[in-house]
Amino acid sequence: MLDSAKLSRLQFLSRVIIRETDHLLVTNRRVFNNLMTPERARRLAHDTADSEQVDAFVSRFGRLQDTLGNRLLPELLDALGEPVGAVIDNLDRAEKLKLVSSADHWMSMRRLRNQMVHEYIEDPAVLSDALQTGHAFVTNLEEASVATIRTLAMHEWGDIAVISEFLSDRNPSG
Amino acid sequence: MRLTDQQVAAIRHEVESLCGEDAVVQLFGSRLYNAARGGDVDLLVTLPEAVVHPARLSAQLSARISRRLEGRSVDVLLSAPNLAVTSVHQVASREGVRL
Repeated sequence: MLDSAKLSRLQFLSRVIIRETDHLLVTNRRVFNNLMTPERARRLAHDTADSEQVDAFVSRFGRLQDTLGNRLLPELLDALGEPVGAVIDNLDRAEKLKLVSSADHWMSMRRLRNQMVHEYIEDPAVLSDALQTGHAFVTNLEEASVATIRTLAMHEWGDIAVISEFLSDRNPSG
Repeated sequence: MRLTDQQVAAIRHEVESLCGEDAVVQLFGSRLYNAARGGDVDLLVTLPEAVVHPARLSAQLSARISRRLEGRSVDVLLSAPNLAVTSVHQVASREGVRL
């Protein structure tokens, strides 16, 4: 049985994850409606509207990955009675529990994030590849988020009303 | 140079497995200097051929090498015929020591 402080933290984080997932998916669709080519990446320096959208994508991507991996995952492992350790050890454990598809891939995507920042990355070939690679990883982030939320729901640890609505749009395998 | 022989071997192994045996890896930055302490491991990896996914490859290399070096922070800069040569590349290739 979880104490009430832990339970309310898990409920809070489940609501945050759901909001962050939904918001990332919206921005993901908008930004990658058109391919991020090196030419488009080059124009970001002067195209305010597009660069604001891209910044929103990068920051939502980063926030969801951090909330899932660095905040919710340790709390969830602890609630499940699993050992909690360094980020990479937690991710290895999450991979075994099928919460994330690959701990290595997850860590690569964390390393990718600083190559998505257009003010820093001067080579449009690198910037566009970073953004397209991030876009391809959104499905994995969504799957990790759904798997985590399902685990919370199974143990009745999350915010049940919000979780039911989130999961109702998704089939059991997805 | 502040890397052990095992760490150098691990770096070379990961670079070879992801980039092939023609890739050249150099260490640059603060890890070159014995007097400095801590700091990121900065690597320049030079590839003989064009790389299709440079950001993905550099992220994979950083993550894999970082795991082999007990979570130390690793930055990988790629050099390839299809990539721009920035001022960081110039400094890195000038001061870098081949591993």
